[in-house]
Amino acid sequence: MRTDSVNYMGESPPETQGQAGTLTPWEETTVVGKPLPRVDAYERVSGSAVYTQDIVLPGMLYGAILRCPHAHAKVKHVDTGKAAKMPGVHGIITDSTPGANIPWYHGAKGAMSRLFDPHCRHEGEEVAAVAAESPHQAWDAAKAITVEYERLPFVTDIEDAMNSGAPPVHEGGNRDGDSSVYQRGDTAKGFAEADVVLEETYRTSFEIHTPMETHASVAQWDGNRLTVWDSTQGVFAVQSSLAESLGLPLSSVRVACHYMGGGFGSKLDLSKHTVIAALLARMAARPVKVTLTREESFLCVGNRPANIIKLKAGVKKDGTLTALELTNLGSGGAYPASSSVGYLVRDLYLCPNVHVDETNVFINAGTARAMRAPGFPQCAWALEQTMDALAEKIGVDPVEFRVNIIPTVSQVRNNMPFTSTGLKRCLLEGAKAFRWKEARERPRQDGPIRRGVGVAAGMWGWEGETVSTAIVKLFADGSVNLNIGASDIGTGTKTVMAMVVAEELGVPLEKIQIEYADTGTTSYAPGSGGSQTVVANAPAVRKGAVEVRNQLLELAADELKRPVGELVLKDGAIQTTAEPIKKVPISDLQILQRRQMIVGVGYRDRGPEGKVALPFVAQFAEVEVNIRTGETKVVRFLAAHDSGRALNSLTFENQVFGGIAMGIGFATTEQRILDSRQTGKMVNANWHDYKIPTAMDVPVDQTCISIDPHDKECNNTGAKGLGEPATIPAAAAIANAVYHATGVRLKQAPITPMQMLSLLAQQQEGGNR
Amino acid sequence: MIPWFTYSRPNSLKDAVKQLSVPGTRLHAGGTDLLGCLRDGVVAADKLVSISHLAELRGITRTGNGSVRIGALTTLTEIAEHPYIMEHYAALSEGASSAASPQLRNQGTIGGNISQRPRCWYFRGDFHCLRKGGEACYAVAGENQFHCIVGGQSCFIVHPSDTAPALIALEARVRITGPQGTRTLPLESFFVGPQKDFTRENVLDAGDILTEILLPAPAANHRSSYRKVRARGAWDFALAGVALSVRFSNGIVQLARIVLSGVAPVPWRVREAEKIVTGKEIDDETASQAAAACVKDAVPLAKNEYKLHLVRGVVEEALLAMKQA
Ligand SMILES: Cc1cc2nc3c(=O)[nH]c(=O)nc-3n(C[C@H](O)[C@H](O)[C@H](O)COP(=O)(O)OP(=O)(O)OC[C@H]3O[C@@H](n4cnc5c(N)ncnc54)[C@H](O)[C@@H]3O)c2cc1C
Repeated sequence: MRTDSVNYMGESPPETQGQAGTLTPWEETTVVGKPLPRVDAYERVSGSAVYTQDIVLPGMLYGAILRCPHAHAKVKHVDTGKAAKMPGVHGIITDSTPGANIPWYHGAKGAMSRLFDPHCRHEGEEVAAVAAESPHQAWDAAKAITVEYERLPFVTDIEDAMNSGAPPVHEGGNRDGDSSVYQRGDTAKGFAEADVVLEETYRTSFEIHTPMETHASVAQWDGNRLTVWDSTQGVFAVQSSLAESLGLPLSSVRVACHYMGGGFGSKLDLSKHTVIAALLARMAARPVKVTLTREESFLCVGNRPANIIKLKAGVKKDGTLTALELTNLGSGGAYPASSSVGYLVRDLYLCPNVHVDETNVFINAGTARAMRAPGFPQCAWALEQTMDALAEKIGVDPVEFRVNIIPTVSQVRNNMPFTSTGLKRCLLEGAKAFRWKEARERPRQDGPIRRGVGVAAGMWGWEGETVSTAIVKLFADGSVNLNIGASDIGTGTKTVMAMVVAEELGVPLEKIQIEYADTGTTSYAPGSGGSQTVVANAPAVRKGAVEVRNQLLELAADELKRPVGELVLKDGAIQTTAEPIKKVPISDLQILQRRQMIVGVGYRDRGPEGKVALPFVAQFAEVEVNIRTGETKVVRFLAAHDSGRALNSLTFENQVFGGIAMGIGFATTEQRILDSRQTGKMVNANWHDYKIPTAMDVPVDQTCISIDPHDKECNNTGAKGLGEPATIPAAAAIANAVYHATGVRLKQAPITPMQMLSLLAQQQEGGNR
Repeated sequence: MIPWFTYSRPNSLKDAVKQLSVPGTRLHAGGTDLLGCLRDGVVAADKLVSISHLAELRGITRTGNGSVRIGALTTLTEIAEHPYIMEHYAALSEGASSAASPQLRNQGTIGGNISQRPRCWYFRGDFHCLRKGGEACYAVAGENQFHCIVGGQSCFIVHPSDTAPALIALEARVRITGPQGTRTLPLESFFVGPQKDFTRENVLDAGDILTEILLPAPAANHRSSYRKVRARGAWDFALAGVALSVRFSNGIVQLARIVLSGVAPVPWRVREAEKIVTGKEIDDETASQAAAACVKDAVPLAKNEYKLHLVRGVVEEALLAMKQA
């Protein structure tokens, strides 16, 4: 199975030729940048939008997956006899079913498991699957399959897993390869030069993505051709992995995803249930839908790794950082998956001496997947609290401290310059709008309710895959079809892309039809993730639209017998700029009536030459801590983002507010809890016990500021990514605010009343503030 | 998936009692707790008997002497928003409004809230625990951060209801109709702890229907409150909470009831704390002494020692707030 998507392996992607190939960002815009509501808002709100889970095909069956209830076990025997005879059952697959022996989870030495591997290394691993006429029949039959398990000793705690006597998750022990080490400069020398050195261990918790729409796939065969509707962020990634799993050419596998209820990284690549749906559908010769239950979605489709991060930092009295040393022990679960967090330490602040040492360890728990800014909020939790502590030690305001150590080059990329960095402006303009100084200098209250403010900064470190193709078709009446391969995962992709077309062609949004995320009918785009959807697609869409405009103007020039240079497209009409002034509606052009359609293709070209385009952020939080009860309430939040140009200020703000809410979850409520000492099973695999923030946990007083550095080099739209940065420093800003309020440093995320009360009690005993 | 069952909706209390006396039958009120339990395999049922057609079990009525009768089918929202309850029985409206979420409060009934099953994640989850007929309580050596600090024995649940502590503080009585007829008892005696019987949480037997809750007429100079602490701002059970009901005379406490949530397998009344504040003004010192008395007998498990601080903190806060009110 291959989970990486297509890339050009260093070769140049195709480029749009001519004028459209060398576009620079708009100086002025009429549509782009406006706070426009979603083009599909009505469908989403009214319930008429059809999500993958809503799809019902004629003759469709429902699948159910029997999963291992133990943290670690070997399947000794599976008896499907009774289940096979149950009403409505049309197919059962297990490890012994021909064609089901599909390798899964690849490590350095090849596949480490298979679709129904009898060695189950975590609770929820797949053992068998059933297709039946109704979901109830499928579940009843799945439960009627009897499985004999040999239970094995398990380990679910990251530190325990490193012990020599720990039960091995895989033969050869629990370390996932060697530690990865990054080194620049000489940290020992750096620490020796420092006036202040701080060292602290920070811990974060496993988080689960919990998108509103759980994972679901509908599979349908037509002869040897397979169509899959999948709730996915990346139809092309799913297509290629699925084709490989089933031994089919790409042309025989079509994957589509229309309305989609969130993913946060857990739907970037192929999941087992999708292959299972395809196998069941082939066996039953009927379409099959597999929808994961909420409980399954907690166990089997990814998580954000927990990390134990030891961070040592040295600073001089004048505020220069002399050295940063980070040691990370994390776990991506039972199979290889990154738990790396080291990026921010290497690139966010100017620091000549950096050492990062990261170890990933296997445990008997579900495998991690990218989750909104993988590794970054964890690192920010440690780094940004450390920066806060350093600033305090040298007696400098934490905003000012950061402002003075902002790099203009990417230190991990051999000092390659950033196309732009608005971090300084984010910090300064954010602080001003937040009234930081005033809030910071407010005298500490002694009553039971303590208020405090905190700041944290961040950046996103992945420049992404700059490969995508957009096709823009102009119909004879001047309306438009836009064809892109990207999924709209709920972020407003369709809206923003339509706005780019509208900007160039002057078509109203209602007259733009959008065809998207379908490997059978749309052109390639990378998965919608990694803050890349706008960055990878909007430039291609713009080029496609400009291509159409150029062709149209050329045709019009012929027809109107005027030089192209004297024609513009405005308000759905060709207008001349020189006398005699003429205005011809597009639909009146004879040539267009004959051809019926103009097609423009836009290729996203390479990223900026010799530079790297990345987004930056500074966020400010105000909290209220009740020291009697340990309750922490985030009462005010301000996010200042340099994500380049905001293409739609409303969806921009939505994205930021969503990121803040996730940050509040990371900071205060979310954590996967395993019954580590008895069964290794997850005790809070539901939306009630696994606590994502509610509307009551998010402050009413939230502000989003877009800091636009007018980046001319990042791409032809001037936009940088936003999805990840929105959530990166949020939790750390809250932790710093709690410290400001109480004098208690939160080393462990999340800050629950449980932890807060214990720390406050320790503080009282120690008498230190 | 919710397993199969048959469903019946009788039109008389008598018929409902008769149908519910058959083994394998369960009473369905709003269903917000019951259906979850069925779906998760916590309980089994061949047949559900809905009491939703029993109109006499609905609504809030005031009797001639000022006491109040609340039908078991009255929803939490109706209680939370009822002006008379809000004015005279603030603890109850605060308890009701702090439970669950708006949708659940619109559907969930007060009878169901009092009779709901425990929320212990071992009991609700895929663990064959003592209360479900298994060998042992997993909370003893397991993830016990949300479990009880007092009154546990063999099983360490906390009672999940936010309305029950308030009702006990307000001296509520409940009326139950069963195969043997009708009885009325103080709500305080309704709950059953694990020392007595770890398979049940209350006195209801097969065929018993809780029909109404009776609140005594409001007294002069009486105030009550319910304060709940939770890990998340809504849709979350109490980590700990306290219901207070206090009668004052010239600022002096004449009579006090202090009932805790989130600390014990039943709503936990602390008579010693009540004694401490009675006959005195509420000030920092009495509040702090009463708060300390609330956890005097507590024995925390490995992961819930924080509840000692929490209970003290929340009781102190609630008592002082009552003084200021
Ligand atoms: C996600 C979630 C969060 C919640 N959060 C809270 C919270 O924070 N605080 C809180 O207090 N509650 C909370 N609840 C519980 C909720 O308030 C109760 O589920 C609701 O009040 C139950 O009422 P119901 O009518 O739906 O009961 P049902 O589900 O119909 O019944 C519940 C149980 O009580 C029995 N029963 C019901 N009525 C009677 C009667 N009249 N006589 C005898 N037996 C009866 C039923 O047989 C069943 O066993 C939460 C529930 C959920 C699902």
